[in-house]
Amino acid sequence: MMSTDVALQQAESLLAGLGKGTAKPEPNRLDVVIEASDLIAATTALRGARWGYLATLTGVDLGKEANQIEALYHLCEGDAIVTLRVRVPRAGGAVPSVYALHPNAMFFERELMEMFGVTVTGLSDTSHFFLPDGWPDGTYPLLKDTDVQAAAKQVKGSEPPEPGRQGDRFIVPVGPQHPALKEPGHFEFAVDGELVTGATVRLGYVHRGIERACEQQNYTQNLYLTERVCGICSHSHANAYVNGVEKLAGVQATPRAQAIRQLVACLERIHSHYLWLGVAAYEAGFETLLMYSWRDREIVMDVLEQMTGNRVNYSASVLGGVKFDVTSAHAQAIRHGMDKIEERTRHYLHVVTSDTSFLSRARGIGVTSKEEADAMGLLGPTLRAAGVTRDVRVDAPYGSYKQFPVKAVVDSAGDLAARFKVRMEEALESVRVIRTILDGLPEGDLTVKMPRKIPAGETISRFEAPRGELFYYIKSNGTDKPERVKIRTPSICNWIFVLKKAVGAQMADVPPLLAGIDPCFSCNDRTIVINRPRHGRQVLTWEELRRQAITHTRR
Amino acid sequence: MRALINLLFFPGGLFLIVLALAYEYADRKVIARFESRIGPRWFQTLADIVKLLVKEEITPATAHPILFGVLPVVALSGALTAALYVPLLGFRPALSFPGDLVVTLYLLSLLTMSIGIAGWNSTSRFTMMGATRALTQLFSYEAPFMLALLGPAVVAESWQISEIVATNRGAWILLTQPFGFVVALIGLMGKLEMPPFDAPKAKTEIVAGALTEYSGRGLGLFHLGKEIELVVGLTLIAALYMGGIANPIEFFGKTLFLLMILCCLHAVLTRLRIDQTVGLWWRYGAVVVLAQWLVLIAWKGIVA
Repeated sequence: MMSTDVALQQAESLLAGLGKGTAKPEPNRLDVVIEASDLIAATTALRGARWGYLATLTGVDLGKEANQIEALYHLCEGDAIVTLRVRVPRAGGAVPSVYALHPNAMFFERELMEMFGVTVTGLSDTSHFFLPDGWPDGTYPLLKDTDVQAAAKQVKGSEPPEPGRQGDRFIVPVGPQHPALKEPGHFEFAVDGELVTGATVRLGYVHRGIERACEQQNYTQNLYLTERVCGICSHSHANAYVNGVEKLAGVQATPRAQAIRQLVACLERIHSHYLWLGVAAYEAGFETLLMYSWRDREIVMDVLEQMTGNRVNYSASVLGGVKFDVTSAHAQAIRHGMDKIEERTRHYLHVVTSDTSFLSRARGIGVTSKEEADAMGLLGPTLRAAGVTRDVRVDAPYGSYKQFPVKAVVDSAGDLAARFKVRMEEALESVRVIRTILDGLPEGDLTVKMPRKIPAGETISRFEAPRGELFYYIKSNGTDKPERVKIRTPSICNWIFVLKKAVGAQMADVPPLLAGIDPCFSCNDRTIVINRPRHGRQVLTWEELRRQAITHTRR
Repeated sequence: MRALINLLFFPGGLFLIVLALAYEYADRKVIARFESRIGPRWFQTLADIVKLLVKEEITPATAHPILFGVLPVVALSGALTAALYVPLLGFRPALSFPGDLVVTLYLLSLLTMSIGIAGWNSTSRFTMMGATRALTQLFSYEAPFMLALLGPAVVAESWQISEIVATNRGAWILLTQPFGFVVALIGLMGKLEMPPFDAPKAKTEIVAGALTEYSGRGLGLFHLGKEIELVVGLTLIAALYMGGIANPIEFFGKTLFLLMILCCLHAVLTRLRIDQTVGLWWRYGAVVVLAQWLVLIAWKGIVA
C-alpha cells in the first residue's frame, strides 16, 4: 500500500495532459477537471496503472444559471481519492460509458441517466434501474427544479411483461416477492435444466428518494433520515453522514464520543454478520444454523437496547458527538455479552470450516480470483474473501480507528465458504476491538457545539459498514440544508458479482451466491407510490400515511 | 361389514390419520427443539389439516382442471391403500396376498408420481422445476430403496409381508443386513422429500416446488398423503428389519426411534443439490445395496 501522497502524485502524473485544471480540496483528495471526450482516456490511464477502483459516479445539478450538470467520477486507492469532474450541459448532455473498464459503472450510469437526464453513450441497457418503468419521460428527479410529487402522480401503471419463455430460453423469476428474498428485488435467471445461462437484476422497489429528501431538510433532520437508509447498518449510515458534516463544519468530536461511535459500530458489525450467517445458511437449506445464529444475535441486540434504548435505529451519533454515555453498568453488560458471543462465534467458525454437509454446498461456489474481484470493483467481505486487503478502517482510518486499530480479515480462497469464514473472523475481531475500547475509553465530554449553518464546500466520507465501504458525498452551500448528498452503498457495487457468477452455476447455488454478498436492497434503493394493479397507482400523502399508521396500530 | 371397518376406522381411515398426525407432531416438535425453537402445540397438525381443507382452492387457468383436482386424491388413496398391507403398530395387516410387498412399494411411489404430474400440470415455472427435480430424485433413490426392502424378503423366500415376518420369527435383520437398513431408512427420507433431500421443494429456489400452485384441499390431501406414507414407511422398515411384529407399544417405540434418527439427520444436514442427491444414490446407495445382495445370493446359493 503506497502512501496517500505518493498515490496522489502518481494519479496526477497519469492524468497529466488530460486535466483542464487540478485542485486539492483536502489532503487526501485530488480533483481533476476534464472534458467528457477525455473521460475514457483518463479512466484508461488510471486503470492501466491499476490505480484504484471506481467508488461511484455522483451527479450534481449546478442550477439553472450555470445550466450545467457535473458528473463526478470518484476513484479510490487506499486513503487517496481522485475525482474526475466532467461538466455537461443540462439539456442534451452526454458522457461516454466507462462500463468496459469498470463493470459496476453500469448501475451508476443508468442512475445518472434516469436521475439527471445525462445521456451515457455506449451503454447496452438504458432502461430504468431505480425509477418505475412508467416514470414520465423527460422528468429527472434529482434536477433542482423538478417537482417530484407532481411527477410521481403521472407515473403510468405499466404491467411488467410476463417473463415466460424468451425464444427457447426458460426464465425463472426470483422476486420481487420470493421466499429467498427478505427484501424486494427482481432477478431473472435463464436456465437450461438446472444450469443458469443468464441473469439480470432490476431494483428500485423500495426506492424512497432519500437523496432528494436530504436536499430539502436541514442537517440535523438528515441525520435521522440517513440512519433510516438501512435497517441493519443504521449506525454506519448515520456515522458516515456525521463524519462528513463534521469535516465540512471543521468540528471534531471528542475522543470519548468517537470511541463510543466505534464501539456501537463494532456491535453493529457483529449483529449484522450474525444475521447474514443465518440468512445465507438458510438459502443453502441449513435451517438449524439460521435458528441458532439468530438466537445468539439477540445477545448483541439486547446489549444495544440496554445501551441506547433501541434495537434497530439506535440514534447513537448526533452532529458533534454522541447521544449517550457508556456507564460502568453498560460496560459490564457488553463484556458479559462479548464473552458469550466470542464462544458462539468460535463455534460457528468451526461449523463453517469443518462441517462436511455444509461445505459440500459452500466450497467452490462462486470462486473469484483476486484480480477478478479487483476488476469488478467489489467491496467489503465479498472482496476480502477473494484475497484483496481493502478495508476503509485500515486504509483510511476515521474517527477513533487510529487509536483502536482494526486488523483486516482476508482469505484467499475466494469461494462462498471463504465469505462465511471472513465474516465470522470479522465478528471475532470486533469482539477484540470492543474489549480494547472498553479498556481504554478516553474521558471527556460527549458533544461539542455544532454550527447550524455549514460553510460552503464539499467532502467525501467513507465508512466501512458490515457489508463494505459506504461512500457519502456531501456538498454544502452555506445554508442549513445540504446542496447535494450522494449515498453509495456497498451492495450496489457487488451486484455485478452475482450477475457474473450466477451464469454457469447451478440453480440451487444461486440463492446462496446471491446471499453471499449480503445484499441490502433498501440500502441501495432509497415509496410513496403504491402500485395496485387493478386500482391504478395511488400516491399517499404524509397525512394519509400518518393516519393509516394510527388506525393500523389502534387496538 | 368387516371390510368397511377396515377401511374407515382400523387400520385404514380414521386411525391411520390420527397416527399420521401424531407422527408429524413428534417430527415437528423434535426438530423445533433441536433448532432451539418451541415447536407446535399438540393439536397444531390437526388444525393445519382442517384449515387447509376449509380453504378455497384456486385452480390455475392453464392447468387441466380435472387432473388438477384428481391428483391429490390419487396420492392420498395410494398411501391409504398401502397402509392396508403393512402391520400398523404391530397388528396383523388388514389385507394380505402373495406379492403384497411389491404392490406396497409401488403404491408408495404413487405419491411422488402424482406430485410430479401435478407440477407438470400446473404449468408454472416453479412447479415445472419442482416436478423435474421430484422425478429425477425418484429415479435415483427408487431402485436402491426397493432393493433394500427386498433384502429381508430374499432371506424369507417370500414376497408376502406377513409371511416374511412370520418366517424371520423376530430376527433383527438389521444386524445381518446393516447396509440395507441404512439405505431403506435414508431412502424413506428421499421419498418423503425430507431435508436434506428437499431440493424438489426448496423454498429459497423454487418457492414450494411442484405443489406451488396448490392451495386448500389439494394441498391438504397431498400433505396428509405424505404423513401417512411416513407411517407406512416406518412401519415397513421396523417390521422387516427390526424384529417383525411385536406388541403395539414395543412396535410403536421402534418406529419412534426410527423417526428420531430421521429428525437428527434433518436437523444437522444442509440441503443437497439435485446432482449431489443423484450422485449419492447411484455412487453409494446403489453400490452398497448391490454388494449386500451379492453376499445374500452367495449365502443362499453356496452356504445354505
